[in-house]
Amino acid sequence: MQKSVVILAAVSIAGAALAEGALTLPEEGSISRADGQAAFERIYEVVIHPRCANCHVGEDNIPMWSGPSYGEARPHGMHINAGESRIGAEFLPCQTCHVTSDDFDTAPHAAPRFGIAWQLAPVEFEWFGKSRAEICAQLKDPERNGGRDWRELVEHLEHDASLNGPVAWGWSPGGDREPAPRTLEEHVEDMALWGAAGQPCPAE
Amino acid sequence: MKLTVNGTEHEVDVEPEMPLLWVLRDELDIKGPKYGCGIAQCGACTVHVDGMAVRSCQLPVGDLEGEVTTIEGLGTPESLHAVQAAWVAHQVAQCGYCQSGQIMQAAALLDLNPAPSDEEIDAVMSGNLCRCGTYPRIRAAIHDAAQKLSEA
Repeated sequence: MQKSVVILAAVSIAGAALAEGALTLPEEGSISRADGQAAFERIYEVVIHPRCANCHVGEDNIPMWSGPSYGEARPHGMHINAGESRIGAEFLPCQTCHVTSDDFDTAPHAAPRFGIAWQLAPVEFEWFGKSRAEICAQLKDPERNGGRDWRELVEHLEHDASLNGPVAWGWSPGGDREPAPRTLEEHVEDMALWGAAGQPCPAE
Repeated sequence: MKLTVNGTEHEVDVEPEMPLLWVLRDELDIKGPKYGCGIAQCGACTVHVDGMAVRSCQLPVGDLEGEVTTIEGLGTPESLHAVQAAWVAHQVAQCGYCQSGQIMQAAALLDLNPAPSDEEIDAVMSGNLCRCGTYPRIRAAIHDAAQKLSEA
């Protein structure tokens, strides 16, 4: 029952910009563990996708280039290192090439852009090359997810998308880049389903 | 729309999608910034926006926020910027096409890091390609300019 409410809410906003608080959150415990695990599997497919994981890298602070157009994954060209600042302040600022713009439509191979300042995700949010179990443990750990419970994770996605940030860009990346799987609305809904199921994690 | 370049305000009648480089070269006749690739892969078009190096070839002018400085506004023939003076002293340029972008990137580098190491110079300058391969002279000139700026 609750799941259908969530889906209806998500469908009602599909096609328009995702509004903050647009999703009616399910009651905690109303989603089965199996449905929560299935939702996490879809979340995992999104966060390890190149549109998301390429800038969720570890403490070497080097963004990655990976995805269908690259063949093998490789470090970002041009010797790029975003530094501990994660915005390139120590070397070349990300914004030297990555423009802040609400217009995601860039040419293939041009520097992609979105509506907030381009930067790496905080180092605690490392996803690139990480396993299901590792990413699941990170996503539900407030020490490593920006201090968020599951409802705040949903709010975070909606808020970033409302700013035309990377969460919105991941599904409309411009150029000939492959978008993240499924839709932004389904991803937000999956975060809610996983949360309401108690954020179950796979054994591995 | 209005934009300020090298301290002068200009009014231009262009589409907001037009890259800043087109506005500079074709509308304002400021030809120092060069067209190389059009997709931020080579650095020939580098200018400053509020002091930060930016690839003007793929910055839609409608998204421009801040004052633009091109190589024409970095120094003057009578009073060269330390990076320009070092470029002359080390005779860095060969064909010269990329050098406007190289100099603007180097000036922005020294603004953020007054005494860069070889490794830091390489990290910052690797987005600016030079097909003549003047990289050793670029490195030497940047060290020289850093020294001169520290004495100023």
